[in-house]
Amino acid sequence: MAIVKMNKFNLFVFDSERDNLLHELQKFEYVHFVNLEEDESLIEQGLESVSVPEDIVEVNEEISKVKYAIDLLSRYQIKDSGIKAMLEGKETLSFEELERRALEFDYQPIYNEVKNLSNEFNSIEQETSRLVSLKEELAHWEGLEYPIKDLTTFKQCEAYTGIIPVKMKDRLTENLLKLEYTYAEIVSEDKKNIYLFALTTKDEMDKLNEILRMNGFTSIKLRIEGTPKEELNSIDKRLKLLEDRKSNIISKFRELSENVHNLEILYEYLMNKKLRIAASENFLKTEKVNVIKGYIPMDKSREFTEIVGETQKNAYYLEISEADEDDPNVPILLKNSRFAETFESLTSMYALPKYNEIDPTPLLAPFYLAFFGMMVADAGYGLLMVIACLVALKVVKMSESQERFIRFFYYLGYSTIFWGAVFGSYFGGAIPIPGLMNPANEYQKLLIMSIAFGLIHLFFALGIKAYMSIRAKKYLDALYDVGFWYMALSGGIVLILTMVVPLAPIVGTISKIVFIIGAVGIVLTNGRDAKTIGGKLASGLYSLYGISSYVGDFVSYSRLMALGLSGGFIASAINMMVEMLFGLGIAGIPFGILVFIVGQLFNVFLSLLGAYVHTIRLTYVEFFGKFYDGGGREFNIFRSKPKYINLK
Amino acid sequence: MSFSELLIQNGGVIIAALGMAMSVILAGIGSAKGVGMVGEAASGVIIEEPHKFGKSLVLQLLPGTQGLYGFVIGLMVLGKLDINMSLGEGIYLFMSCLPVAIVGLISAIAQAKTAVAGVAILAKNEEHSTKGIIYAVMVETYALLAFVISLILVNAVSF
Repeated sequence: MAIVKMNKFNLFVFDSERDNLLHELQKFEYVHFVNLEEDESLIEQGLESVSVPEDIVEVNEEISKVKYAIDLLSRYQIKDSGIKAMLEGKETLSFEELERRALEFDYQPIYNEVKNLSNEFNSIEQETSRLVSLKEELAHWEGLEYPIKDLTTFKQCEAYTGIIPVKMKDRLTENLLKLEYTYAEIVSEDKKNIYLFALTTKDEMDKLNEILRMNGFTSIKLRIEGTPKEELNSIDKRLKLLEDRKSNIISKFRELSENVHNLEILYEYLMNKKLRIAASENFLKTEKVNVIKGYIPMDKSREFTEIVGETQKNAYYLEISEADEDDPNVPILLKNSRFAETFESLTSMYALPKYNEIDPTPLLAPFYLAFFGMMVADAGYGLLMVIACLVALKVVKMSESQERFIRFFYYLGYSTIFWGAVFGSYFGGAIPIPGLMNPANEYQKLLIMSIAFGLIHLFFALGIKAYMSIRAKKYLDALYDVGFWYMALSGGIVLILTMVVPLAPIVGTISKIVFIIGAVGIVLTNGRDAKTIGGKLASGLYSLYGISSYVGDFVSYSRLMALGLSGGFIASAINMMVEMLFGLGIAGIPFGILVFIVGQLFNVFLSLLGAYVHTIRLTYVEFFGKFYDGGGREFNIFRSKPKYINLK
Repeated sequence: MSFSELLIQNGGVIIAALGMAMSVILAGIGSAKGVGMVGEAASGVIIEEPHKFGKSLVLQLLPGTQGLYGFVIGLMVLGKLDINMSLGEGIYLFMSCLPVAIVGLISAIAQAKTAVAGVAILAKNEEHSTKGIIYAVMVETYALLAFVISLILVNAVSF
């Protein structure tokens, strides 16, 4: 229950057998390779790194093709409604099943078809948009009833097509009256421009040119042959045809989208294949032999040895030894009880423990549970959490990490119910059941309780530090770093209490003595790493000054009271509004119920969020600050993290 | 009746109400501004990656709590209001509201800035976005302390 014990292995196998070995190890899953390229001494001895660039390029290409097909086809997939999809969840496959199904499925023809269809689709889109803009342009010339190609064939005449700003219209007509051999027609008109067609003889051309220039004429060449009307008709026909082909392609995409699930499975398989190929880049080799180093969980060593033996036909060298306690390279895998494992995400979010530390997960879990409940502190909310999580666990298919997350809140729900009952709070007082104490009136008691919890939390953290020193057989360190601090803190606290609460004078004297022994001890010992005597004393004194940070730590626990109170007050404010609405008579009742449900759900969400993050803070800053460093490397299991399925 | 007479006769309840208003107004302004800032930043992320909505919502809500603390203190003062309140008691209640009002205003905005930086973590490295949340929660401690003191002050002395 804690950090999984690791074994270190050195393995020599023949280069030709590498793929086979990696393939079987991927089924085995629990192996962590060390990158030997960082090991200078081996490189100096003349070992080369294994590199497989072609294989990686190839598998990457396959992955990008499959991903392309998935992305495109999933747009046309008829999806189950959100709730149904959630209930069914992702398919769970074992590695063997994944591999079998991926290899059975030939994606190449589907990819080719998708690629061709999509190219055609794109060219149709392009042509359509070209035609649509041409159509817009021609629409203005629809009234021009001459085939355009004829306009350029006149010998004596010159034809003009173009636009003129609307505001010039009057001046233009006036000017045109002066010309004798010119025919002009306004074909159409929109808000900005008029579309002008003009025909003139060669003689009058210069005059017309001048008039047009004066009136801001812009010539437009119509790049068509027949009359605009005919052209528009043929464009429409063509557009209709393109539209048909487009919907044809879409329905083909719909048909092909049946393959999406298979493509997704293939994608997962390829990602694992890529990981497998990339793993070999961690190895070194001589001409024929690969050198592999890594870590495996101790309890899986036998299985590992068997797999290596089977795949290598006994032509290999394998050396397994226990991993060194203080080696910073040992990868960390956590294993905890069913209850405590739900809190592992908190530990790994901060930092995984080093191999010679202890796994803080089971130690932080009970406090997290208690503090979270105290911050939400409403039995009604807790009951909602428990019911919602139970339903989710029963009905919804989830991945392992999702299932843990829900179970985490399921446990927290019970703690919330407990504290809600203690404080007599059921939906912010909507159901009047008295509890053991009323936080709104007895906030002082509650504050003292919060700080007392903080005291327990911090002393427990110091206790863990002492345990770690004792485990490492540094008994004096346990006394110096924890024993003296216990004395200084508890002596100091009792001393302060004697000033506030009347106690027997002997208590004051004893506490004073304990405090002084502790404080002197801290000054004398906590600077022991410094070199000179002066330095030792100075840093000892500085350590004692650290006692002021304990004051800050204790005060920080007042949030246990504050969050619970503020949540409770908001809930009762909602209830107050509901009462007012109920007071309005029949019409107010449905609104009252609505306000109650929406308001309380909003407050549940806020309270849970607040409690979740503030308890994390108490854990990381106050609790971990006393004993925990972390900084271990994660054990990278030899599987790619699946995206579309759950992998057993 | 001159203004000073009015103030002496009814001043208590007026000034207490002013304190109540201040705690709701200032803390509310801080939270509104803060939640707005983070919301703007989060919208930028959601354009490209809509699945990050849930996590961004958590970040957005963090600076929202100061407004709630101010509201709770306001409610507590409401419970104490009385038309015959002495001027001294009114001023006392006004003072009680100051911590949550002022610290609420400033801490909400400071927290929002941290949360906006957290949105950047969410955009670039989703796995570690919870760390951005923790940073923002660190700021909240001081709003909580101010809330606790206001709460104690409102209830500590009975006139």
